[in-house]
Amino acid sequence: MMGSFSYVRAGSVKQAVAALAHDGARLHAGGTDLLGCLRDRVFDAGSVVSISGIEELGGIAALSGGSVRIGALATLAEIASHPLIRERYPVLAEAAASAASPQLRNQGTIGGNLCQRPRCWYFRGDFICTRKGGSLCYAFDGENRYHCIFGGDGCYIVHPSDAAPALVALDAQVSIAGPGGSRTIAVEDLHILPKQDIRRETSLEAGEIVTEIVVPPPRAGLRSTYRKVRERGSWDFALVSVAIAAVVAAGKVSAARVVLGGVAPKPWRSIAAEAALIGHAIDESAAMRAAAGAVEGAQPLAQNAYKVPLLRGALEEAVMSLARP
Amino acid sequence: MRKPYFLLKTPPTTPEPAEKLAPWAETTVVGKPLPRVDAYERVSGSAVYALDLFLPDMLYAAILRCPHAHAIVKKVDTAAATKMPGVRAVLTDSDTEARIPWYFTEKGPTSRLFDPHCRYEGEEIAAVAAETPHQAADALRAIVVEYEELPFVVDLDSALKPGAPLIHEGGNQVEGTLVYERGDIAKGFADAEAIVERTFRTSCEIHTPMEVHGSVAKWDGNRLTVWDTTQGVFQVQQSLADALRLPLSNVRVIGQYMGGGFGSKLEISKHTVIAAILARKTARPVKLFISREESFLCVGNRPANTMSLKAGVRKDGTLTAMHLINRGAVGAYPGWAGVGSQVADLYTCAHVRVEETCGHINAGQERAFRAPGFPQCSWALEQVMDELAAAIGLDPVEFRLTSIPVVSQRQGGKPYTSTGLRQCLVEGARAFGWDAARGGHRRNGPWLRGAGVAACQWGWPGGPPSTVIVRYFADGSVSLNMGASDIGTGTKTIMAMVVAEELGVALDRIQIEHADTGTTQYATPSGGSKTVPSDSPAVRAAAVAVKRKLLAMGAEQLEAAEDEVVLKAGEILVAGSPDKKVRLAELEGLMNQQVVIGVGHREQNPLDKVTKPFGAQFAEVEVNERTGEVRILRLLGAHDSGRVMNRLTYQNQVFGGMTMGIGFGMTERRVLDRQTGKMVNSNWHDYKIPTAMDVPADLTCVPIDVPDNEFNSTGTKGLGEPATIPTAAAIANAVYAATGIRVTDAPINPTQLASLLADQRKRG
Repeated sequence: MMGSFSYVRAGSVKQAVAALAHDGARLHAGGTDLLGCLRDRVFDAGSVVSISGIEELGGIAALSGGSVRIGALATLAEIASHPLIRERYPVLAEAAASAASPQLRNQGTIGGNLCQRPRCWYFRGDFICTRKGGSLCYAFDGENRYHCIFGGDGCYIVHPSDAAPALVALDAQVSIAGPGGSRTIAVEDLHILPKQDIRRETSLEAGEIVTEIVVPPPRAGLRSTYRKVRERGSWDFALVSVAIAAVVAAGKVSAARVVLGGVAPKPWRSIAAEAALIGHAIDESAAMRAAAGAVEGAQPLAQNAYKVPLLRGALEEAVMSLARP
Repeated sequence: MRKPYFLLKTPPTTPEPAEKLAPWAETTVVGKPLPRVDAYERVSGSAVYALDLFLPDMLYAAILRCPHAHAIVKKVDTAAATKMPGVRAVLTDSDTEARIPWYFTEKGPTSRLFDPHCRYEGEEIAAVAAETPHQAADALRAIVVEYEELPFVVDLDSALKPGAPLIHEGGNQVEGTLVYERGDIAKGFADAEAIVERTFRTSCEIHTPMEVHGSVAKWDGNRLTVWDTTQGVFQVQQSLADALRLPLSNVRVIGQYMGGGFGSKLEISKHTVIAAILARKTARPVKLFISREESFLCVGNRPANTMSLKAGVRKDGTLTAMHLINRGAVGAYPGWAGVGSQVADLYTCAHVRVEETCGHINAGQERAFRAPGFPQCSWALEQVMDELAAAIGLDPVEFRLTSIPVVSQRQGGKPYTSTGLRQCLVEGARAFGWDAARGGHRRNGPWLRGAGVAACQWGWPGGPPSTVIVRYFADGSVSLNMGASDIGTGTKTIMAMVVAEELGVALDRIQIEHADTGTTQYATPSGGSKTVPSDSPAVRAAAVAVKRKLLAMGAEQLEAAEDEVVLKAGEILVAGSPDKKVRLAELEGLMNQQVVIGVGHREQNPLDKVTKPFGAQFAEVEVNERTGEVRILRLLGAHDSGRVMNRLTYQNQVFGGMTMGIGFGMTERRVLDRQTGKMVNSNWHDYKIPTAMDVPADLTCVPIDVPDNEFNSTGTKGLGEPATIPTAAAIANAVYAATGIRVTDAPINPTQLASLLADQRKRG
């Protein structure tokens, strides 16, 4: 059962930022992650600051110049079904559609999705792990079937978002408002590794709020896809996932971003996989090379070695699905 | 504590019916696909479940549970909690009224209500009753407990090793290894032309019914009424009476609607007694429902099993020997994790040996879970049968057909009252298109397709005791009074159809009183797939008793002999005299009495025969060779459960059973952290039951509708449990057909199949 908290309904970003300055204040948008954390007593809230009524934070629209702006309060369901996203950025529409369950997609926002807390069952459970200020990562020697094979260091979570790898693959930018004003960074730079700060998953500072995401205009010849593997058909995070955005010109890949989900504490860009694709036609051998590149350096734990062949398989399929425009 | 009826050595009986009822020849209501009689109540929300109950002045209770896998409670400080706003009572082991023995073996209790020796995460430490649920929860957090943590063990292999932490004095092995033996397996294996030997493992599965467990308790003087989420009100009544030292007549338990149990609500849970004590202590009604998270820890599970099965066969398909060695973890308290009966009984085999060993671990106690032991056994047995068929070059259906017994080898060679196993396989295969599904190796990109089959039998037939009362009122409406619970399977509908069949009354003129120890008669809990075969004959006997009385009244009024009159369409007629008839509404005897009462009992089962339901299921799957993802394309269940009483409820059971089988085979597993002994996935997100996306739209139910008239007067056998027994094994066999990979450990999904496929590629 949740602890008690006071509830603040912010009318503007400025009000929200001010309200978040109080100790123990927690941001509330769709609430699908926050309420679960509160109920599971992962953390308590002194106050809950709702931004769900701030209109300027919603909506999906094309900007002049061909970019698309996605407000932080746009739901995953809106993103998955929006014609602009479906036409221009299939990887993002597919990723949003594959997240969670229909109910959660109707309620969950893209801002919350990027900022959600990890699903590691030790973090969520009754364990004082390193991410909660303890001295032990229980997953390291424990039940680590769903944990990371890249980037673990004192903590072995995977980043749970489906949308984040897609946005990194598309080289999207995220705008952030905070006590010190606004700033814009690449989504790629939003998430951090345990070795940077074991207590946080993002580079957001205290009181900062994600306000919008801007996806750059699709380049001519852009092909993109999201491939997710999970244990059950709905309401399940990725065992592994692959987001690819590749530009194909004259039959060859001229640019590519390959971003992996479910395998690292943040969306994991695979430069090796990208290199294996760039300059080549998309075919089975390029797919195999990219897959081999993607798993280089993987460091499985006792129970998650399956992620290595699984990642290869998912990546091969994802690449091959782009063979035709 | 009195022994529950199912532990009695001699089968219980109720009086034999005055007449042996002839089987129905043709039926007018029974067998029709009719919607449920309580469908409106269930769908509209007007059905009152225990959770829906709000009594005046009711308090809310909650339980503090041990967070450690193994610990001794040194001290419980409730001082702060007692003073908190709204708190009306706090209960701990230091209250003498709470010192109630719990968890029994034949030798006596092994624990008590708030035992300071906590043997698993989730054991009860204290309970609070408060004005609101939130005040109760806050009070729990204010209770300070001092624990001495003890070494623990959560896997059976470690638990049975010398030097393992002791969960009970005397060792972690449950007393006695069960050995069943017939023939000489050494001789049988020597005769074999092919032998398969493999070790299979299943995961511990949690029941997770939609409705969590809970009770509302209320005292009137020394009389206790409890509304409970239970599959058997009389079981709970007896346990409450024992625990609180009350006469049975002072304990009324009501459980008319319940939202799923699957065996976890077959027996009383501690929270029910705790609610009753808190209600007595506060002189207020108390509602105590456990949370979803608690329900993963402390109200049962299907134990994990490790089964080594060796089987031999001759080229003509004769099974020569089977040897099963099973080990299962029952949790921290008495239980059983045996699986062996299908190995000993499903197929003809002269030489069989089964050895079963159970042990304790620091985890919640097992409870009956939809066909306890049987899906695990099928997982091993039916996969070995698949391999044996391949070894001798026979089709898996053909192979099974060579070994169909007409007697129960496990029960002294007594013949079955009926066996539809052959029809299940043959008619199931035909409806499934088995030959076409097996023909050729089909590929769709990286997706490989395959089909598999598995057969089953189920162990419990049902039987007495059962006592039912039917009342026929002056206006021709009827009250059906029976003790059995309808646990969501359609029991009420089936029983009303039996009354309608015998008395010619419309279903909407029948009111049902049931599952209330204060107003209905003893029935065994609804479990074991035995409610219809146990209680529908008693319902029929009661309805027939009413009919006999009405006919006697009619004969008197019409001045005819009793054997000359018949009841038809609301009239009593004299055979051969079209003018001599009387409408029931004008029956003088009925008008005088205003009510006619019939009492029915369940007849004894035949002593010289054995009754079992049988089934066969078929699965077609696609496996992605790159990722190990499995798509179940379709499932078909062909079941012999005797007479089909209602095709709709029958189909519900088959589809629901197969859906649960998908969970057992593909997604579900309890995960206990080896470092702390705590369950890490005690919630509905991390403990993965199948979603609608995991169940194929293409589900088929093929009833083998052959009444078992030797067994009981309605010709019925059980269905709910058999429907889930072979599903996972059929899927595993289909996965093998698709990939050539024999998956021995459940569940099957990419977390193991991705590696198995990669290994296969490496081997070339």
